[in-house]
Amino acid sequence: MSLRRRLTLSLCTILVLFSINVGTHFWGSYARQESMLAYRSSVTAAQLSTDAAQLLENQRQQILVLETLRETTGDMLDAQELADAEADIASIERKLEELGALTSEVTRPQYERLQQAGRYLLDSWLAFYRNFNDPNFDSDIDDPLPFVETLEHLRQLEQRQAFIAAQRSTIIDRTIALTDRITVIGFIATIFLTALLGFFLLRYTKRSLKRLKRGTEQIGMGDLDYRIADFDDRGELGDLAKAFNDMSDKLRRAIEDVRQAKDDADDANAAKSRFLANVSHELRTPLNAIIGYSEMLQDELGDAGEIDRAQFQSDLDKIVRSGRQLLALINDILDLSKIETGKMTLHLETFAAGDILQQVCDAMIPLLRERENRLHLPDWSGLPPMHVDATRFRQIFLNLLSNACKFTRGGDIYLEASHFQRAGEPWLQFIVRDTGIGMDAAQQARIFDAFVQAEDAISANYGGTGLGLAICREYCELMGGHITVASAPGAGATFTVELPATAPVSVHAGA
Amino acid sequence: MFEGIRILLVEDNEINCEMLARRLTRAGLSVITAADGQQALQMMASEQPALVLMDMNLPVLDGWSACRQARLDAHLKDIPIIALTAHAMETDRKSALAAGCDDYATKPIDFPELMAKIQRLLPA
Repeated sequence: MSLRRRLTLSLCTILVLFSINVGTHFWGSYARQESMLAYRSSVTAAQLSTDAAQLLENQRQQILVLETLRETTGDMLDAQELADAEADIASIERKLEELGALTSEVTRPQYERLQQAGRYLLDSWLAFYRNFNDPNFDSDIDDPLPFVETLEHLRQLEQRQAFIAAQRSTIIDRTIALTDRITVIGFIATIFLTALLGFFLLRYTKRSLKRLKRGTEQIGMGDLDYRIADFDDRGELGDLAKAFNDMSDKLRRAIEDVRQAKDDADDANAAKSRFLANVSHELRTPLNAIIGYSEMLQDELGDAGEIDRAQFQSDLDKIVRSGRQLLALINDILDLSKIETGKMTLHLETFAAGDILQQVCDAMIPLLRERENRLHLPDWSGLPPMHVDATRFRQIFLNLLSNACKFTRGGDIYLEASHFQRAGEPWLQFIVRDTGIGMDAAQQARIFDAFVQAEDAISANYGGTGLGLAICREYCELMGGHITVASAPGAGATFTVELPATAPVSVHAGA
Repeated sequence: MFEGIRILLVEDNEINCEMLARRLTRAGLSVITAADGQQALQMMASEQPALVLMDMNLPVLDGWSACRQARLDAHLKDIPIIALTAHAMETDRKSALAAGCDDYATKPIDFPELMAKIQRLLPA
């Protein structure tokens, strides 16, 4: 369950309990007030009844005295006395009416009986006063029955009202006790429930936060594989755990990426350093000859005696040859740099592949002889003419053949040439095969990369900047073709170059 | 001053080999040459040169391996060896000395300096 739901539910429960408490309180107040009103009117009515009974008693005494006077003395009642008497009777009437106003449904029959009897009694008393001076008026005022009856009814009403008042007071007591009990129970339940909900909520939150904290600490200590497992909560804390796990994943991936990027950069850096070391090595070898011969010739010039002109000439030739080698090396480096920065351009011309390859093979003769290798040439009379960059074409085979020589000693080097159709276009295939040291699959995968030789040990043993094959591959691809290698350690190497007879017009061509 | 002292020059690059051999001869040394490490070990055993100048990048058996083998051989271990290499990094110098070379010279060779090193290593 989500945290928000838990909180809402807890709050609602507490609110409901609180509302019950408040409702009980108001209901209790209302009930008390109702009963109190009824009780008060009952008490007031009882008071009124007592007053009325007293007034009736007084009036009865007065009338009995007046009746005796009238019969014995013949006194007259003057206007003032009549008015006083009428006022007294009216006040009794008012008392009875007040009683009526206070009468509730339950005491209505008692009141009606009182009213009836009271009206008859008061009417007869009023008639007595008004006809007091009339000697012919025969009063039945002596008859006590109406008076007794009225008092009796008054007493009954009083009793009834007292009984009701007692009943009301019992109800009040009971209501107070009940509302007090409900309030206390509600209050205790609210406190208990709040504490219980708070405890569970706190325990749940604490446990969840503890797991998050542990996760954060683990991540902080570098354990990026740490995950908050089995988080079945679909609420906020579950979301938080999920977000946490996502964050860990992203963090791990980011760090892996950074590590990978750093490794790549380190590799590239190391490759460049190796390349620089190799370039330095390659430049120093011809420089050694150039400087050495020059210094030696200087020394010899300083010697007394005849100079051996033929020897001098031959030594100078060696200086020139080393200088040219140095230049070729520098050109290789510049070419590769041009290719890599996309500034290499092709100069397309039409030529017979055989002519160029023959020139290349002629140039290889000294190297072949040095390494005691035999070169086997094909019949290239049937090859179609080519329209590619002749200089790059020559460079490819110079590199491949000198490589073959470099890694073969006292063996055979085969150059093969053929042509075929691909997608309706004429293509040429050239194969340079040797019987040299060969290489394994891992070396084959890397040899076409710039700055990389099959192995540093090979570089040490066989020299080379590791640029030749990289340049070959770039040239082949620039001219729309490709180069592949097949080899096995100790079993020689076979380089296959496939080129379209006409280089496709691309961004590089003819520019 | 070096009259009659025989040293072995091991170098696979023909031009460099010829050049250095001539200059050493001019300085009065008697120079014999070898073109790879294997050949060098054989000649060290048979000719007992007073000193060896050894290129490190050699075919068949490279200079480092040849040095190590020479140092393990009771007959060859006392012959001083000066490494000649076109590798100019500090690590290259260390690797040559670690292989058992007594000294180290970087190509292009500073000839007077090389002669000083030879003199220092030759038995008095």
